[in-house]
Amino acid sequence: MFSCNRRRVIPTSDIKLNRYLIPHRKEIIGTVVCVLVTVGINLYLPYLMRLVIDGLTEKTLDSATLSKLLGIYLLLGAVAVVVSRFLRKLPLKLSHKVEYALRSDVFDHLTKLDQEYYRSERTGDLMTRMSSDINLIRDAIGQGLLQGIRTITVLVFASIVMMLTDPGLSLLVYSLYLPMVGIFFLILRVMRRHQKDLQEHVSEVSNFSQESFSGIRTLKGFALERRRNAQFKELNSGLVRKNMRLQASRQSLWPFMAFWFSLGMILILNLGGRRIIDGGLTLGTLTQFIQYLLYMQWPLLALSWSMSLIQRGKVSWVRVREILERESSLESRSENTEPKKDQGDAGIQFQNVSLNIQGRHFLHDIDLNIPEGTTLGITGPTGSGKTLLVSLVARLMDPTSGSVLIGGDDIRDMPLAHLRGIIGFAAQEPVLFSQTLEHNIGFGVAKPDKDLIGWAADIAHLRDDVEGFPERYQTVLGERGVTLSGGQRQRTAISRAIARRPDILILDDVLSAVDTQTEAAIMGKLQPVMNDRTTLFVSHRISTLRYADEIVVIENGRITQRGTHDELIRQPGYYSELNTLQQLEEQLEAGS
Amino acid sequence: MKMAKRLLAYSLPYWRWLSLALVMIAFTSLSINYLPILIQRVTDQCLMNTSSPVAERIDLLMKLSLLYISIAAIGHGVRYFQGLLTAWIGQKIIYDLRLEVFRKVLRMHQAYFDQTAVGTLMTRVTSDIERLQHFVTEGVVGTIADLFMLLGIMGYMIYISPSLSLAIFIPLPLLFAFLLYINVKLRNANRDIRDRQSRLNALLQEDLTGMTTIQLFNREASAMVDFDQRNTHLRSAYFDEVHWFSLYFPTIEGGQAISILLILAVGGMLILNGSTAITLGIFVAFLAYIRDFFRPLGSLADKAGSFQIAMASIERVFNLLDRPEEVADPAEPANPDHIAGTIAFNNVWFAYTEENWVIKDLSFSVEPGQVLAVVGATGAGKSTITNLIGRFYDVQKGAVTIDGVDVRNFRKSDLNERLGYVFQDPFIFAGSVADNISLQTPGISRSDIVNAARTVNAHAFIEAMPEGYDTVMNERGEGLSLGQKQLLVMARTLAQEPELLFVLDEATASVDTATELLIQDALGKMMCNRTSIVIAHRLSTIRHADRILVMRHGELVDQGTHEELMAHDGYYRHLYELLLHAPEP
Repeated sequence: MFSCNRRRVIPTSDIKLNRYLIPHRKEIIGTVVCVLVTVGINLYLPYLMRLVIDGLTEKTLDSATLSKLLGIYLLLGAVAVVVSRFLRKLPLKLSHKVEYALRSDVFDHLTKLDQEYYRSERTGDLMTRMSSDINLIRDAIGQGLLQGIRTITVLVFASIVMMLTDPGLSLLVYSLYLPMVGIFFLILRVMRRHQKDLQEHVSEVSNFSQESFSGIRTLKGFALERRRNAQFKELNSGLVRKNMRLQASRQSLWPFMAFWFSLGMILILNLGGRRIIDGGLTLGTLTQFIQYLLYMQWPLLALSWSMSLIQRGKVSWVRVREILERESSLESRSENTEPKKDQGDAGIQFQNVSLNIQGRHFLHDIDLNIPEGTTLGITGPTGSGKTLLVSLVARLMDPTSGSVLIGGDDIRDMPLAHLRGIIGFAAQEPVLFSQTLEHNIGFGVAKPDKDLIGWAADIAHLRDDVEGFPERYQTVLGERGVTLSGGQRQRTAISRAIARRPDILILDDVLSAVDTQTEAAIMGKLQPVMNDRTTLFVSHRISTLRYADEIVVIENGRITQRGTHDELIRQPGYYSELNTLQQLEEQLEAGS
Repeated sequence: MKMAKRLLAYSLPYWRWLSLALVMIAFTSLSINYLPILIQRVTDQCLMNTSSPVAERIDLLMKLSLLYISIAAIGHGVRYFQGLLTAWIGQKIIYDLRLEVFRKVLRMHQAYFDQTAVGTLMTRVTSDIERLQHFVTEGVVGTIADLFMLLGIMGYMIYISPSLSLAIFIPLPLLFAFLLYINVKLRNANRDIRDRQSRLNALLQEDLTGMTTIQLFNREASAMVDFDQRNTHLRSAYFDEVHWFSLYFPTIEGGQAISILLILAVGGMLILNGSTAITLGIFVAFLAYIRDFFRPLGSLADKAGSFQIAMASIERVFNLLDRPEEVADPAEPANPDHIAGTIAFNNVWFAYTEENWVIKDLSFSVEPGQVLAVVGATGAGKSTITNLIGRFYDVQKGAVTIDGVDVRNFRKSDLNERLGYVFQDPFIFAGSVADNISLQTPGISRSDIVNAARTVNAHAFIEAMPEGYDTVMNERGEGLSLGQKQLLVMARTLAQEPELLFVLDEATASVDTATELLIQDALGKMMCNRTSIVIAHRLSTIRHADRILVMRHGELVDQGTHEELMAHDGYYRHLYELLLHAPEP
């Protein structure tokens, strides 16, 4: 949604998946060796079988030779079984290592991306890329590598061995298998289409249920149960229908293949049999062929499966690579990575700042000077650009033109970590983390101590609430712990911001869910804290705004009024209207 | 076992179809497994039978080949239809059960929803039921099919050569036990993977939502550390899975190799020693059986392991179905044509949890057309009053009556069709704005919808939406402000033309002043000429009420008009002054 037209995405030098595979080349080579060994043995064992059978038919076999042949069989069989384990273990383990590394890299990269990116991408979509897309890439590597190498090896070597043994029967096997693989592939495609249909319907059903359960009060209040039940019945029938459509193709898979195989079996037996009767072929050779037929069945079928895995893995890789190739639009303009020594002045200046996002003008020619240690109040109608204005100070985005200075330096010349280190930011709808309250309050401090936490909680008027929690500061927040009210969340966010003892404090409408009494108490305690630092706060309440040294009114991205509370209430305009309205409300409520 | 029996009861309506499926399974097993016997006959009677004339042998070869392919076609054909039939039966059983579960959930009383997370309920209707479906089709019917397959193969094997069969069957129990063991381990590993994946996802979800916060507070490095910890944890669970998985197929391959070796050894020795019990045909047929033998064996081991998981799901589903419905509908419900609107509480006692009385001996009545405001501090039991009238809960003692009829004599749905609610948190259904107002109630026309929206001041912003009343909203009503959602929900209530109205009103600071005035105006219009009970937090609504009930700790402490109550100079006055200073409870 938000994407500045001025920002260009510069792809970093073409990230390749190879980067994740090369460190594991030993495992890949190991896999290839394992494949060669197992395929070799599995092609050789039917030959042993042929020797035994032919020996028995021609009565040339004695028990000593039989024992010797069986001994070799046992030995090779044992080797094949052991190697077969590594054949699976090596590539699968490798794929999980790649999965791990890839997920780590993506997360690491995500922590560096700017707010603009997070506004344009939905969290759900990012989640999908981090979980199912990366899993698909893993499967493409693990299963794809395993099945791919095996299939190719089996096909090549089995063809050679079969051709050497009996060209006629080999051709028969091939003419049978090629159409089988084709048809199998088709059935799979039909299946996948129905599967997708079904999946969509399933999520429709679960959305419907979710809505019914979470809106149960409304449902019951309006006596909608009967209607809802009827709708659910309809959806439920759809499930059966879609499921049966899928089953029609899925159930055909195994019988079809088994039948086709029977067909191959009897054709070989019939055609080969005639040649045995003619004396041109031995029963042993025929058995050997039947064993090859059996052996090739699975790798051939796995071919279409691994092809589709690799295909899907590729698509997923493109989606994951998109994240990795995306760069933050916030670049440091200078090479300066060290903060300047003469820090101390935390005065903020806005010079001619304008902000356009996607061609829409959000802020126009903002000029502001907030001397160190003073407090600026910001107000204005919803959507006028107040939040964007304060976001610019913390470089959640950069202005389209003009510049923001702190202590006389353009903030784009400061290292980002340093800039954010001196700011304490609290937002209207704060994000808290599902950890202890202590962790949340001390979130921005390297080593928070109890006194600091207690102090910060006290200023934000959170102390009494904490006393009421089962484990006080150790109480875990979120789904598995205590759910805070909107006001408590906002006050926690205030504590979190001031616990950093920042040079610059930004409070973005953080008292909107707090009642007036508490608000007054918090403002009273915040006052000394604000006096020590440069403060910007956004508010809709006159009672809060009057604390500010200077107040600006933002309307449609422009500063329309500025001055102290006393000055502004005397001017006609938004501020005095707001004041009158809020006074009226009070009077209306107070009036008898 | 009791659970399984009960589940079986759901298949009773389909017992004819199930019997047919069983017959088909038996037929498939007998026909398909007969094929290797034909191979034996081909080998012995055509290929190796040098005593007969060549023409005769080729003739027999053709006949047997045709027989082979016909049996294969019929066998696999029947197997296909049996698969479809089984899937259909499973679907039907699950269809019935899913419907029953959904209906049960909707019938549950409010207290149940207070205690149960939506996620839990979702699990019952979706994944638990899916597991059940899996259990019925793949589990029960699949096991029977596998057993028939196995028995069929073993039967034919013993039929053609008891000695050779015995040699092969001896190591089987050991192999099966080992497969079972691997399966248990694999299942544990899979459970770990699921747990750890969801823990990783939970962290990820939170970090992605709060990335700006993490960046603002310079916490990127520590977020990475937390993430890496869970990522490593997940990887080790996967390694575990690989460890056991890589044993599974080699075990089956090993079993096959040993079996073939046994056939070659025992069969070879017997032939070498001149025994006539073993022919080369039997030899070849056994090699064919061995291939088919291990598939049902492996799949049986799979199913034995999954049995427990399915049982847990079955138990949870049945537990839900067995929950008592505490608010039941009467046998002979009252349903008068018209409700005048006299609501009375007669010595009502109520507790959400036993003995924890929220309402104590409450008596009052509202006359038709009156607006009654209920005031009191948080936890005084105000909203409980509307819960009891709408039978979200039933009273423990005393009675709530409408026009003199106990509400328990009404069917809940009949009752609620006559009542209208405005709840604190507006709930928006996925669908168009118009459908959200009409709730697709028959008889509500587009003009009714627009009228309702106009009355509650919602028309203007609805018209401004991309497709007006036909704009489709998602479940959370994204794009609308809270105030707009509240107005929309009020239009919905008004459109249903309730005979009695209940308003749970709470002034919210996140609604801007202009919208707040619109909401107050709309509330006033809705309550006009309608028996209404308002759980009031706004002073404006309180003052406009015909009568005010003052509640404290579940008891009625005072009642009267605003002026009367102010004159009493009691609890109400204190409350009023408190409200003056803090618009929120």
